[in-house]
Amino acid sequence: MRSFNLTFWHTTPFLLFILFVTPVAIVLFSLIGTYNDNWSHLYNHVLFLYISNSIYLVIGVGIIVSIIGTSTAWLVTNHDFTGKNFFEWALILPLAVPPYILAYTFTGLFDTFGTANNLVRDIFNLGRDFTLFPKVRNVPGAIIVFSFTLYPYVYLVSRMAFINQSRSIIEAGRTLGLNKTQVFFRLGIPMIRPALIAGVMLVLMETLSDFGAVDHFAISTFTTGIFRTWYGLYDIDTAMQLASCLLLFVIIFLVIERYSRRKATYSNSMSVFRPIKINKLNGINNASAFLACFIPIFIGFVLPVMELTYWALNYKLDFFNYKFITTAWNTLSLAFLAAVLTTILALLINFSTRYKKNKLLANMSSFLTVGYAVPGLILAIGIMQFLTFIDRALTIEFFNLALTGSLVGLVFAYVIKSYALSNSALESGYHRINHKIDDVSRTLKSSGWSMLTYIHSPLLKTSLLTSLLLVFSEVIKELPATLVLRPFNFDTLAVYTYIFAAEERMFDAAAPSIAIVAVGLIPIIILTRIIRNSRPASREI
Amino acid sequence: MSTLEIKNLSHSYIKNKTVLTNIDLEIKEGEILSILGPSGCGKTTLLRIIAGLEKETNGSIQINNKIVSDYLHTIPTEKRNVGLVVQERALFPHLTIIKNVMFGLNNSKKENIDTAMNILKLFRVDRYAHNFPHEISSGEQQRVAIARAMAPKPKILLMDEPFGTLDQSLTVQLRIETKKILKDNNTTSIIVSHDIDDALAMSDRVIVLENGMIKQSGVAKDITHLSKEKAVKIQ
Repeated sequence: MRSFNLTFWHTTPFLLFILFVTPVAIVLFSLIGTYNDNWSHLYNHVLFLYISNSIYLVIGVGIIVSIIGTSTAWLVTNHDFTGKNFFEWALILPLAVPPYILAYTFTGLFDTFGTANNLVRDIFNLGRDFTLFPKVRNVPGAIIVFSFTLYPYVYLVSRMAFINQSRSIIEAGRTLGLNKTQVFFRLGIPMIRPALIAGVMLVLMETLSDFGAVDHFAISTFTTGIFRTWYGLYDIDTAMQLASCLLLFVIIFLVIERYSRRKATYSNSMSVFRPIKINKLNGINNASAFLACFIPIFIGFVLPVMELTYWALNYKLDFFNYKFITTAWNTLSLAFLAAVLTTILALLINFSTRYKKNKLLANMSSFLTVGYAVPGLILAIGIMQFLTFIDRALTIEFFNLALTGSLVGLVFAYVIKSYALSNSALESGYHRINHKIDDVSRTLKSSGWSMLTYIHSPLLKTSLLTSLLLVFSEVIKELPATLVLRPFNFDTLAVYTYIFAAEERMFDAAAPSIAIVAVGLIPIIILTRIIRNSRPASREI
Repeated sequence: MSTLEIKNLSHSYIKNKTVLTNIDLEIKEGEILSILGPSGCGKTTLLRIIAGLEKETNGSIQINNKIVSDYLHTIPTEKRNVGLVVQERALFPHLTIIKNVMFGLNNSKKENIDTAMNILKLFRVDRYAHNFPHEISSGEQQRVAIARAMAPKPKILLMDEPFGTLDQSLTVQLRIETKKILKDNNTTSIIVSHDIDDALAMSDRVIVLENGMIKQSGVAKDITHLSKEKAVKIQ
């Protein structure tokens, strides 16, 4: 009989799979529970609205982030124009602004008596009835909010893929009669399709699981429905059943994404990599490129920061106190811990899948990304129930220790929620490593840990840094799971902001909001500079 | 003494679709064998099975009289002591040329550097020792790839279309140089190619694979008459 050796590379993903899946399974099991009157009410009156609004959001956001993310990444990677060096890193600044904060500032700016309309009336001496800017508390408004805060996900993965495209391929296209625009549409985009799909899928999952922005705009989606059912009707079972429906939606997205990605695997032979030639833009092209990169940053970052600063300066200047420093420290440490842990786990699982070439492992790895789309509060409930079970069965009995209410649950939630981000960055990185490199390194007696440490990790440096950056930024902004799972008397900046925002005290929430944005900026600036310098084969690792 | 012995080897990726059928093959120490055949005939699969990168469905493989794979046993690639050269070269892009060659060596650092430099000298690429792969030409990259595979002194050197991406004049030159080095070092080698000229110039013996079966086998000069139409078909 043929032997099958169960190794670390088989068992680790399997154990992680069980750990990741259990809280989600707890939520999904609600589908086979009893359906009460609240469910019938939702089903008969609002479920279709939740579905249609979610679909509008997903289509609108998907199209806009694809356009902004790929075009800006192509411009800054392959062209030289005014402000290019600034845009390279500044284009990811909106990552530091959570959609709910942009939503708050948008209403502050564009409501009938918001800052922008007031300014126009004052300048042109117009009457109170005049409004220049349309209302934003609607689906198109939400599409704009999500698109301009989330496009950096697409920008980052597209840029990483463009950086790694070999100049020879672009030159081959030019010699075959393609002009610069055709090179972008017929070579640039098709070649980065796996990365692009991965980035867009992340944005869509984020859109579907957001609560803050859609709630502020009073748009009925699955998440607002879940929250209303929970907090309004105090019906956790129906809320979990709604969450399960949302989860099924996400699984369909994932299956489509995996299928299309499997149909097109692109890998560069790193040995023949030639860095891309930068084209200098002049005149109208230079101005157009500048505007194409400036507008997303202006809407997604400059505008909200200006409005928040205006509010903060006018209403609250004494926020920089001991409480604030403690809260900022808590946020930074948690984010760092979660980013490192998530990246290590994603690396181990991606390596196992590739190294063992096992279909089951690949399917498990795909499934782990579903956690990202699970609304934070529902995930938190799943984790709480899971930890309560472990506490009762194990930790209290044998170690006199309770995991419930500790940082374990919180980090656990962050890892599950951010795993898709990390996985996406690493998967894209792995797509670009030729499998022949693995074959050759095995014949050179390098396998398992040695291959991971000395071959894959250096080649994945850009992807690993991207993963750290994405998770770090995500954790700083995370709110609902933190609210439920944080230990007693343990605040993060997001919780701090929420407490004021929940009472519509946005002027008070402005200062901690700026702090979230500012703290989120530090790793973005540092890590993007490292990414810029880490083209493959550019220097010794 | 035979370095490699393959007995009754068959392989299929999907049930009822056989890629290799009842392959029996023996290679003596220091012999250079070429496997010729059209695309999809199973020659690369055979090479990957010898390397341990694929598991055969049936049959057995012995290297230096030790079973490395049969129905019960499978020795992993990294423990088979085989060298592999692929058409894409697959040099590690983050390592310099010398570090690429030193990668498979397990001695002290000084000994590794000496060994690597010596083999780079043999292939006349020692002046690029501290360059990165993308900084040298494709012909030089291929020399480095062969040098890297030979550095740990493998029992068998496996080469899959080693000159497939190079131009004709460079290919001719590399064939002569590589054969000389292989012979001087008494390195047992298997070269997989669809190019009959590779086989004739490099090898002591040639086998022709067709539809996963050995159709012809013989010394290179006999295979010269393997018929013109066959050669045309193969190319």
